[in-house]
Amino acid sequence: MKYLVLILCFFGINFMISQDLLLEAESFDEKGGWVVDPQFIEQMGSSYLLAHGMGVPVENAQTQVNFKKNGEYKVWVRTKNWVPGEWEAPGKFQIKVNGLVLENTLGLRSGWGWEYAGAVQITNKKNTLELVDLTGFNGRCDAIYFTTSDIEPPSSVKKLATWRKTVVMEPLAPKITKKYDLVVVGGGIAGCAAAIAAAEQGLQVALIHDRPVLGGNASSEIRVHTLGIYGNFERILKKLDTEHYPNGSPEAHKDQIKRDNNVKSYENVSLFLNWRAYDAKAVENKISYVDARQTASAESIRFEAPLFVDSTGDGWIGFWAGAEFSYGRESVDQYGEEWKEHGELWSPKQPDNAVMGSSVLWRSYEAEEVAEFPEVPWAMPVARDYAKVKGEWQWEFSRNDLNQIDDAEEIRDHMLRAIYGSFGNAKKLPENANRKLEWVSYLVGKRESRRLVGDYIFTLNDAKSGRTFPDGVVEETREVDVHYQTVLEDEKNPDFISEALFYKTPKYYIPYRSLYSKNISNLFMAGRNFSTSHVGLGGPRVMRTTGQMGAAVGFAASLCKKYDVNPRDIYTGYLDEYMNLIEEQKYTPIPDSKK
Amino acid sequence: MKIIIAVILFSGLGLVWIQKTDVIPTSVSQNKTLSNKPEFFVMEWREGMVLENKPTPFFIEVETMGNQNVDILVTAHDRPVLYTADICTPVCADGECRLMYITIYWNLLGAYAGYDKVEGQTLTKHDHVEFLKQDYEKLHHLLIDDNSILKRKKIDELVLKPKESELDGVDAIAGATIAEVKESVVDGALYSCYVAWNIAHGPIKAELQEYTTSNFDNKLKGYMLMSSEVDYQMYALNSLSESEYFDYKDRIVQIFKSGIPLVRTYIVQNLPKLFWESESLQRPFWESFAEVDINNRSLLLNHIQEAPIEVLLLLASNLELMTKNQLKLYLSAIENIAMTNPDINAQLLRFAESGKHTYAYIVAEFLEEME
Repeated sequence: MKYLVLILCFFGINFMISQDLLLEAESFDEKGGWVVDPQFIEQMGSSYLLAHGMGVPVENAQTQVNFKKNGEYKVWVRTKNWVPGEWEAPGKFQIKVNGLVLENTLGLRSGWGWEYAGAVQITNKKNTLELVDLTGFNGRCDAIYFTTSDIEPPSSVKKLATWRKTVVMEPLAPKITKKYDLVVVGGGIAGCAAAIAAAEQGLQVALIHDRPVLGGNASSEIRVHTLGIYGNFERILKKLDTEHYPNGSPEAHKDQIKRDNNVKSYENVSLFLNWRAYDAKAVENKISYVDARQTASAESIRFEAPLFVDSTGDGWIGFWAGAEFSYGRESVDQYGEEWKEHGELWSPKQPDNAVMGSSVLWRSYEAEEVAEFPEVPWAMPVARDYAKVKGEWQWEFSRNDLNQIDDAEEIRDHMLRAIYGSFGNAKKLPENANRKLEWVSYLVGKRESRRLVGDYIFTLNDAKSGRTFPDGVVEETREVDVHYQTVLEDEKNPDFISEALFYKTPKYYIPYRSLYSKNISNLFMAGRNFSTSHVGLGGPRVMRTTGQMGAAVGFAASLCKKYDVNPRDIYTGYLDEYMNLIEEQKYTPIPDSKK
Repeated sequence: MKIIIAVILFSGLGLVWIQKTDVIPTSVSQNKTLSNKPEFFVMEWREGMVLENKPTPFFIEVETMGNQNVDILVTAHDRPVLYTADICTPVCADGECRLMYITIYWNLLGAYAGYDKVEGQTLTKHDHVEFLKQDYEKLHHLLIDDNSILKRKKIDELVLKPKESELDGVDAIAGATIAEVKESVVDGALYSCYVAWNIAHGPIKAELQEYTTSNFDNKLKGYMLMSSEVDYQMYALNSLSESEYFDYKDRIVQIFKSGIPLVRTYIVQNLPKLFWESESLQRPFWESFAEVDINNRSLLLNHIQEAPIEVLLLLASNLELMTKNQLKLYLSAIENIAMTNPDINAQLLRFAESGKHTYAYIVAEFLEEME
């Protein structure tokens, strides 16, 4: 049975008593073909259910609901029309209560808010509730609210958060607290490597990740292959990385199993899959805890530890804790990162908020029979006349009015329009009569967002010169490549296609000092949110390199524990021991059987 | 003057650039004229223009063939227009070599501008099959691409199937990298394409730019600013002093309206502060709001707090062009006058109640909160 909440509300001066019940869609017993989307909680307030059917309506989601009192309830649904305009809304759906469809079709309003589904007579305690997808094109349902009152729940995100807390009587702090030696937030390749390295050194580690599978951009849900070299950490990174298959390939599933099994094999790694951090509290620039919530059940836990790793990609832990961070492109003169040949595309004279974009990968296949694909007029303003049957890394979107974190849902949705529209165009060609969409990701594969500032900021010049550092713990030979949107050069180009500029470099190194926060004393960072300039990120943003960062901070954490010190102290006081530990990782230990 | 020369050496499949200094050209350029637009050309060509060849100190040395001079092409008034070189180079594949003849043109900043076939000579593919019309076109398109994959690959990497581990230069796939090469080069003429691209985009490019720069004067600056060539516009803009921004203000507005997004961005980001302090100087940029791309609208809106009331009104009639965040920026700028200025208020109502705009709800919520 579903948890649900029944409350008594007092409205206005009449002291009218109403029966209310709020049901979070993501907590449905059976999700059917709907998927839980927790990517945009910070912006729209909650995980939601998404009907990601690639144009084919998905199976109903279903749940049992217990009512305490019979009566007529008005049903409100929190949703949005994700492409409002002069066409039929793409993501329409309905609500069914005890087999009866409520009168209003949903998914029609602009912007997240409540839509009235209709009234329902409740005559039994036990009731069945269903979400009925009508289109297969990404209808979305955040919550369903049953009320006997006539008042519409608040739509604005601010008011909604307070209202939600009142309605569900959510405690201010998680009731459960768990303590670890190290809390790693974000289970991409960097976070997994950090957890493994620390666990191998005997630390008790919590690894919190908001998806059911590990790997982030490398996971079978996003499917970007891993690039870069192993550096000192081949043994660990081979447990996590991918083959060099085409981006978007289903071969990602094989590596997914390998990765998940390997991480799960560490007894002292407590894995919290489908848990998303939502707050971090720092006192005197030291993080005391991170709070996280289960993405479907909303159960919450407080994670306490002397040390934390921010491998969220977006630098959330640092952001909540008040860590210094940067976003966008520095001016060409700030770090002297000019590449004359590519001028402003590479590094601008004036700083700006442009960043590399996010990708949504997809593919189709040749079916044995002719396959229909519906008209998608709502996608055409984005796709225009672009016609393709698959999308690789060049399918990337960034625009200067969109923040890769705050506007991630809009960025994802823009890419979905690009994909469905381009595929729709391709389907009109006779050679694609049998083409069918096989897989379209609904997760945003980000390249760049917040970069937390460390004691050292890695830049292009470190890569160009192959500068060595006494604390050089990550090494890479991959060129620095920075992407830009091709529409900047020609407005006729689609705005969702990018181009890469490659700067060839010698082997280069990233110092340990770029992997812990400058002002939050117990915070490590690993992954694309490490301490770097925009151009500097161009090379080491790929996942074997970020995995090296993770492993490096995992080992550093073990020394922090050994000496009861903070990350910076490892550089200032224990560098030799740390670098020896890193160096030792190059060599595979002799197996016990051979000793 | 120290001359840096690039030499192409052929050794098996490899192709190596070597720098030499103080080499004397072995051939002397002849007086020639160019009166027709080159057959494959990316720049504008003024009808009736006759350009005369004049020597430069630069040349491209080709192994076994000697030095190939680079000339400058000038108008009757001695204004430089292009650089050019008649290239004769061996193209070797599988131990067999043949000669390729091609006349290449560069613009004044050393960027590839076009090419001509050499009279009596055709380009050939593998097994001496002659180029078809579309092959010449394809070669031209390849040469236009200054960011071609040929730039970062050695010839043997393009021919032999590389090991997967070597293909990690891009977050792309092994198969696609090869496909990308096939897509961009003339089928059966990879070696010719590779050699031509590396000559057009070799070290000569930077040398020619430097040569132009050393002769860069106000006349040339004006010429480049007036030009429709994107890299000329960018180069000229980059060289403007603050006072020249005012001297050329009309042309700058014109480029802002008609230029590519990248150049517009440069303009709006680098306009001297005084422009934003003057109503008349900033107004023409705002008047282009509807014509420019989304990114540049955002950059203009970064200056909304400096905009006069007329501009706020002008923008009120363009609400449908704004993205969500642009609209929010605009609304925050008119917060204090939204209810008191009848024209702006009317536009907000019109937009909010139209029922067909994606972000009408944002304005509706804004008005609701204002009440």
